[in-house]
Amino acid sequence: MNFTQRQWLLVSLAFVSASAAQAADEYSFDASGFEKKPFELGGYAQIKQDHFSLNRNGAFYKLGYFGDPQRESLDRSTATVELTGKLRGGIGTFDFHTHSDIQHDQLANSSNNVLYEAAYSIRPDPGMTLEAGKRTLRWGKGYAWNPIGFVERPKDPNDPDLAREGYGMVNADLIVNRDGPLQTIAFTPVLLPVERNVNSDFGSTGHLNPAAKLYLLYRDTDIDFAWQGSGSRPGRYGMDFSRNLASNFEIHGEWARIRNFVKPVTDSLGHSTSEVGNATSYLVGLRYLTEGDTTYIAEYYRNGTGYSDEEARQFYQLVDDAFIQQQQTGNSALFQRALALGQGSYGRPNPGQRYTYFRAQQKDALGIIYFQPALTAMINLNDHSYQVTPELLYTGIKNLDLRLRFYALRGSRLTEFGEKQNSNRLELYARYYF
Amino acid sequence: MKKILCLICCLVAFPAMAIDGTQILEKVDRNLEPESYEAYRQLIDIQPDGSKKEYVLYTMKKGRDKVVALFLSPPSDKGRVTLRLGDNMWLYIPDVGKPIRITSLQSVTGSIFNNADILRIDYTAEYNVEAAEEKLDSILLSLKAKTGEVAYDRLKMWVDKKALLPTTIEAYAASGLLLKTLHFKNIKDFGGGIKRPATLETDSPLYKGYKSVMLWAGIKKTNFRDEVFTLNYLPRIQELRK
Repeated sequence: MNFTQRQWLLVSLAFVSASAAQAADEYSFDASGFEKKPFELGGYAQIKQDHFSLNRNGAFYKLGYFGDPQRESLDRSTATVELTGKLRGGIGTFDFHTHSDIQHDQLANSSNNVLYEAAYSIRPDPGMTLEAGKRTLRWGKGYAWNPIGFVERPKDPNDPDLAREGYGMVNADLIVNRDGPLQTIAFTPVLLPVERNVNSDFGSTGHLNPAAKLYLLYRDTDIDFAWQGSGSRPGRYGMDFSRNLASNFEIHGEWARIRNFVKPVTDSLGHSTSEVGNATSYLVGLRYLTEGDTTYIAEYYRNGTGYSDEEARQFYQLVDDAFIQQQQTGNSALFQRALALGQGSYGRPNPGQRYTYFRAQQKDALGIIYFQPALTAMINLNDHSYQVTPELLYTGIKNLDLRLRFYALRGSRLTEFGEKQNSNRLELYARYYF
Repeated sequence: MKKILCLICCLVAFPAMAIDGTQILEKVDRNLEPESYEAYRQLIDIQPDGSKKEYVLYTMKKGRDKVVALFLSPPSDKGRVTLRLGDNMWLYIPDVGKPIRITSLQSVTGSIFNNADILRIDYTAEYNVEAAEEKLDSILLSLKAKTGEVAYDRLKMWVDKKALLPTTIEAYAASGLLLKTLHFKNIKDFGGGIKRPATLETDSPLYKGYKSVMLWAGIKKTNFRDEVFTLNYLPRIQELRK
């Protein structure tokens, strides 16, 4: 071995040793940076661009764009920031969640600042939590709808996972765990006061509004019983369940009954009446995961507070007639009546009585990890109008979600999705978490 | 003297009888971690182009089949909590605000590690030992799932003879398809009598070129109240950390 060979050998040995050391260190993990801190702040910032193809023959276009320049389409830019934080001290924790957004389109600029949640909680024992403040409680097992969501603002079926504004309340959580078929019992009592400046959109003022939920984990089945006493809103009660039939197959259901529910109903001439009766809503659904990592979610929803096909048709006809009358005579009295109804229960996201929801989502599609295409469909089973929403989601970039969605709303005249404000919508957002 | 000779003959002639697979699996469970413990874990997903995505989880386990994992990082997943009680699994997402049932075959991180890997309970709680075979330095355990709810129908587990810790596990579907291989590496003394692999690597023929790694830190014996392992407690799990 000459000198050069020896040098090469030494260099090679040094390289091998360095590589081995690097391999050993490649996966070192120090957890000290993740200890609990007295104050935590996080959240996300999002930029969203929407393109709406407006449905100029639709009842809700006529109501929404009354008095505005008539348009075929609208482009809207939205910047959103949501902040979440925790402040810990002693046995208590204060946490908050804020939402701020700025919107700009060809017609208007607007901004919103909403305190979604801000509550102080103490936990004298792991089995007991007491809490006061603004809190979003989510009750029910349904994915797109929750008939037993008695003390929460309704979720958007187009984006059921979005954070929502809560209500000011006092609540507690009492948990008992035991051996045997009944593994867990948890009781959540709630007091939700409604005054002129507190929770005023919940219902009529001057009520304390008690509500409660009892959760049981019984023989591997989640069961909830929910109740809300009459006060600002009519009294109601209900239950839900969820259970895995197999490791990849879950079923769930909800049932709710509202006593003396008041439903405003109109005919096509604008004669409104209030129908009072008990309303029963229910939902059954399933979630199924295939071997190929496709998740299917399907739900059937019977909305007991909704409008029949004929009731909805009368309302859409009223809007049409009122719009024509206003255009021809300049008299807007009938149109204003239709507008008021449209801003009330006729204008809910899903005002009909029977719906089905279907979603298929493919994980790691095309062999790309973190790439999830999905297809969602919502059908009004009464009038057979529907909305189909294909989407592409990529979460492979650190702290960044990118989502592209297209909404296609289809239906004949005097149907729910045929009378919506837009017929198509393209949405793209980038959400950065910090 | 005849009795001693007879005993020696028996030991030489029937070595397989000395292996009790179930007992070995029980020891593997306890050597991997105490029955009740807390720990920090880092999950690293490595893509074919070398790019990485990392998650940090705080984990609590009680008994043979109660596990909770809280996501501490990255910010997009911070505050998510997964709970496992036997065959039942739930995911709590702060924005969604309520736990939803998930399945063992899904992955809350989107990596090769699925929920059953992330919320692993004792092997003896999920598997029966069908065969134990002595190799040169290891024991090969053939495990069969006790129920259809278990993520993998069969496991082949190579156990280090001296340390009684797994070195490699192959996970198979009921069809016989190899789903993934788990490699246990880097045995480390965590104190408190806990000496176990600090690194777990996995690869899968279903995800060619991808690799996922799980790193352990801060494992210690801890006892938790049963109420912690309930759906109502999930939003408050992070308050338990020291």
